[in-house]
Amino acid sequence: MSKKRKKKRALLPFRLNVLFAIVFLLFSALILQLGVVQIINGEEHQAVLEKTTNDIAEISVPRGMIYDSEGKVIVGNEPVYSITYTPPKNGDSADERLELAKQLADIIKMDDEAIEKITEREYKEYWYLLNTKEANSRITAAEKESLDDSEIYNLTLERITEADYKELMTDDQAKQIIAIKRELDSATELVPHVIKNENVTEKEYATIAENMGQMAGINVATDWKRYYPYEGSLQGVLGSIKTGIPQGEEDYYKSRNYQLNDRIGTSGLEMEYESLLKGDKKRVRYITDNNNNIVSQEVISEGQRGQDLQLSINMDFQKELDKIVREELKGAINKYPGANRYLENAMAVMLNPNTGEIYAASGQHYNREDNKYESADMNTVFTAGAVGSTVKGATLLAGYQEGVIDPGKSFYDTPMKIKGTPEKKSYKNMGLINDLEALQMSSNVYMFNVALRIGGEYNYQKNQSVSFNQDAFRILRNYYNQVGLGVETGIDLPSESVGYVGSKGQAGNLLDFSIGQFDTYTTMQLAQYVSTIANGGYRIKPHFVSEIHDPSNEKDKLGPLAKTKNPEVLNKITATEEQINRIKKGFKMVFQTPRGTAYSHLSNEAKTYDISGKTGTAQTSIDGTDLENWTLIGYADSETPDIAFAVMVPNLGIISGGQQYPITYNIVNRALEYYYEHTAPDDKDKEEAE
Amino acid sequence: MNSNKFRLDLTIILVFILLGIVSSFTLHELQPTLSGLAAQTQYMPKQILWYVLGAIVITVMMLLDYDRLRQLVWIFYGIGIVMLLMLFFKFPAAIINEANGATSWFILPGIGSMQPAEFVKVFVVIALAHVIMSHNEKHALRTNKTDLILLGKLLAVALPPMGLIASQPDLGGFLVLCAILGATILVSGISWRLLLMILGVVLGIATIVGLLAFIFPNQVGAFLQETIFKHVESRFLGWLYPEKYPDSSYQYRLGLMAIGSGILLGKGASNFQVSIPERHTDYIFSAIAEQYGFIGSAVVLFLFFILIYRMIQVGLESNEPFGSYLAAGFIGMFTYQIFQNIGMSVGLVPITGLPLPFLSYGGSSTLAYMIAIGIVLNIHSRTRTYMFETQK
Repeated sequence: MSKKRKKKRALLPFRLNVLFAIVFLLFSALILQLGVVQIINGEEHQAVLEKTTNDIAEISVPRGMIYDSEGKVIVGNEPVYSITYTPPKNGDSADERLELAKQLADIIKMDDEAIEKITEREYKEYWYLLNTKEANSRITAAEKESLDDSEIYNLTLERITEADYKELMTDDQAKQIIAIKRELDSATELVPHVIKNENVTEKEYATIAENMGQMAGINVATDWKRYYPYEGSLQGVLGSIKTGIPQGEEDYYKSRNYQLNDRIGTSGLEMEYESLLKGDKKRVRYITDNNNNIVSQEVISEGQRGQDLQLSINMDFQKELDKIVREELKGAINKYPGANRYLENAMAVMLNPNTGEIYAASGQHYNREDNKYESADMNTVFTAGAVGSTVKGATLLAGYQEGVIDPGKSFYDTPMKIKGTPEKKSYKNMGLINDLEALQMSSNVYMFNVALRIGGEYNYQKNQSVSFNQDAFRILRNYYNQVGLGVETGIDLPSESVGYVGSKGQAGNLLDFSIGQFDTYTTMQLAQYVSTIANGGYRIKPHFVSEIHDPSNEKDKLGPLAKTKNPEVLNKITATEEQINRIKKGFKMVFQTPRGTAYSHLSNEAKTYDISGKTGTAQTSIDGTDLENWTLIGYADSETPDIAFAVMVPNLGIISGGQQYPITYNIVNRALEYYYEHTAPDDKDKEEAE
Repeated sequence: MNSNKFRLDLTIILVFILLGIVSSFTLHELQPTLSGLAAQTQYMPKQILWYVLGAIVITVMMLLDYDRLRQLVWIFYGIGIVMLLMLFFKFPAAIINEANGATSWFILPGIGSMQPAEFVKVFVVIALAHVIMSHNEKHALRTNKTDLILLGKLLAVALPPMGLIASQPDLGGFLVLCAILGATILVSGISWRLLLMILGVVLGIATIVGLLAFIFPNQVGAFLQETIFKHVESRFLGWLYPEKYPDSSYQYRLGLMAIGSGILLGKGASNFQVSIPERHTDYIFSAIAEQYGFIGSAVVLFLFFILIYRMIQVGLESNEPFGSYLAAGFIGMFTYQIFQNIGMSVGLVPITGLPLPFLSYGGSSTLAYMIAIGIVLNIHSRTRTYMFETQK
């Protein structure tokens, strides 16, 4: 027994030693092979590495987002599955791409849009790849002799007729292949190119992921696309992006490191702030060996997604203003469908007169063809019209500065008649009035007198001709320009209209000019003009973007502040403080005295806001029908304003024997009510700030 | 008795710490070169965390007598089989993760991912050791019949998890279990005659399969395409004819280029010329070899060798055969993984997805290996040196 037990005890150590011997052999094999690889063949491997080439590819990063003043996302990025193709160095051959397209067509389905885009040439090229021999046989030997390769190819394509490829046009599979191949063809070597990123199904994604090994260069990734939580609001101002460099601008974008398939802002803020939104591309160094296999890839710089924009727009206010302007436009059209048959636009801008920060900007358009109301916010900078009496503050400022009137100067308001021209008058005869009353009641005659004096005519006599200096147009226009009328506002959008700038003209034109019936202006220009009065003479760029933020790691949260956009003063008007205060006093009377033209239209709520401003009505006509443009500008409160507004409604009808729907007043009443209830800095904040 | 309760094997602990340092440092060096999804995780801090957790596991294991494992063995084994069955039936679907065509992972919300096969390897070692121990206690007299019964029992324990892991498919995990089974059969006491017969059968099957593949490559290839091991063929061919199958041999060629170009002394810390997919896991050895050359690679190999050598010593010194069986199982497990992983990196064997123990990044595998090390340390700490044994 003991012998057996001893034998058994001895067996285990022996077997363990056998195990150890095996371990030893295996480790010896490893160290030997390691020696072969590293010491004997090492230099060979080194030599192969040295023969490699080095390329740097730049890979797009997600675009910056746009937030409102409260930090809510207005334009965001939504992750989407995407299927990409990265061509090897020097690209795949046409046959390889065709093969790849065929493989992919079994797995993914391209959008209908991509299928519809297929051109005649694409059908021909595909037919050519399928029937290369047949196509080549259509070229004579002589032609081959005399033409170069690309000419031969084009000629071959020319000789492919619709009869040849007709079958393809009804073959869904062929169309899929063509659409996929189009994407494969447009990829740049070593740069991932998106084949499909809209509506990639989970099945497509998974199948591609599983079969990536069989399809060189094909990959799945997450891409992004723009989404708009407030769809329909401010869409024009926010702008749009498109994939691909716009035609004719290749040089501009290529010199700025753009690739053919990059997404580029093509309008609105997306375009204006392109350089910030686009971010820094990720740079990857690829090392490829002689066979164009990628040996190594190294991220040289991670890149950074684009910076985020924070707007001064308060999206709740914006939505409310959109609603108000649309409802009031609807109200006016529904109340007088006949008289208001040319009415289709209403614009309103709400901004901070001290900084130029735009709180809300709305343009509503009634599409008469489709009987639909739609947002057209860009009308606030593009639609210009005669604005009427709202310019009278600027006219008086011109008069003071030219020294033709002094504050307090009176004229007698009674109809004016210049020889050979129609009689011109105010809407009523006001008698002897001073400059303040001229604003309060909106006297035309007072302004005519100022304009004539600027032209050098101090001796107007009824029914006599007047003599005046043609320079008067230029002088008056210069003063208008100082406050922003007739010049670019400098708003942060890629383009804006300056309105119509009239040339020199007759005396009648000069008189019209002085009451806002000659040149035309946009709503944004009116907003800049009234802000300039409100803030004591500084013409400030209106702007949508208030801050620029670095990308944040948290989803849909603003990152650290990169830059604040300070108010940008374009010019300080040359009027004295006293002169400006005179205008402000007149503007206050317009809204706050019973004789003021705006007074009776204000809501009870609005009467408590201490508003100053000016009304305007301009005569226009379409197809011989007399119409009116209504404008209303102002700010509140009168002494330390924190909001200014400009409203313009062109082409209202004239109601005989009745009251036109008070559209501009309703818009201002309702917008200010919303502002003071929801978004205005309340008194407590103000006190703290002081 | 209590005075040497914590008899520590300082060599194993030292090797363990050194491997931890090599692993963390290599992951740190490698991080900037990672791309894609891999670039989004910081691996070094996580690996250090796994090491710390592992050290706690080892300490806890030291408090238990490893003999107690025999009472718990079927519970562990049962848990392992249930986890593998869950993967097999993809239930519950919410925590099953399918990646690269294999169903090998659970995704546990809030905790992370977990690969049951890694733990099953350890459980199988314990179960096999227990089966041998029980059998040998009962059958003091060995006959061919008892040997065959023992072999049958071992196969009965090992085959279910082997089948389930193979079906994931996880060829690497399957082969590790084969190695564990082989090592435990070797030390189980089964007679040499029988062992040689088993070896003969295994080699015979391998030869026939090899010949078939050689004579009818297309038919075998087509057959494999039908099975879950369809990628095995292409990897094998890629290894055999790297030039002819450039796509299948992509990783293999890159690995050789990276390791080879490191030559004797390497390129120095953080100097990488070749980038290899999954380098922080299965291909981590290539990172060490590229940076530190033959010398650095040899040091790592030496560390592993010392580890295995010490485990053999623990097995030899153990008073309890159970301890020796456990040690043998773990030796089989570690040796095969080290050989397979480094072997594929240097082109000795075809590529199979297997992590390099202690160096590759991975929570499940690192923790499982720590448990194994914990058990080995425990065996050592419970081994008594008796005076009269010195006469032996």
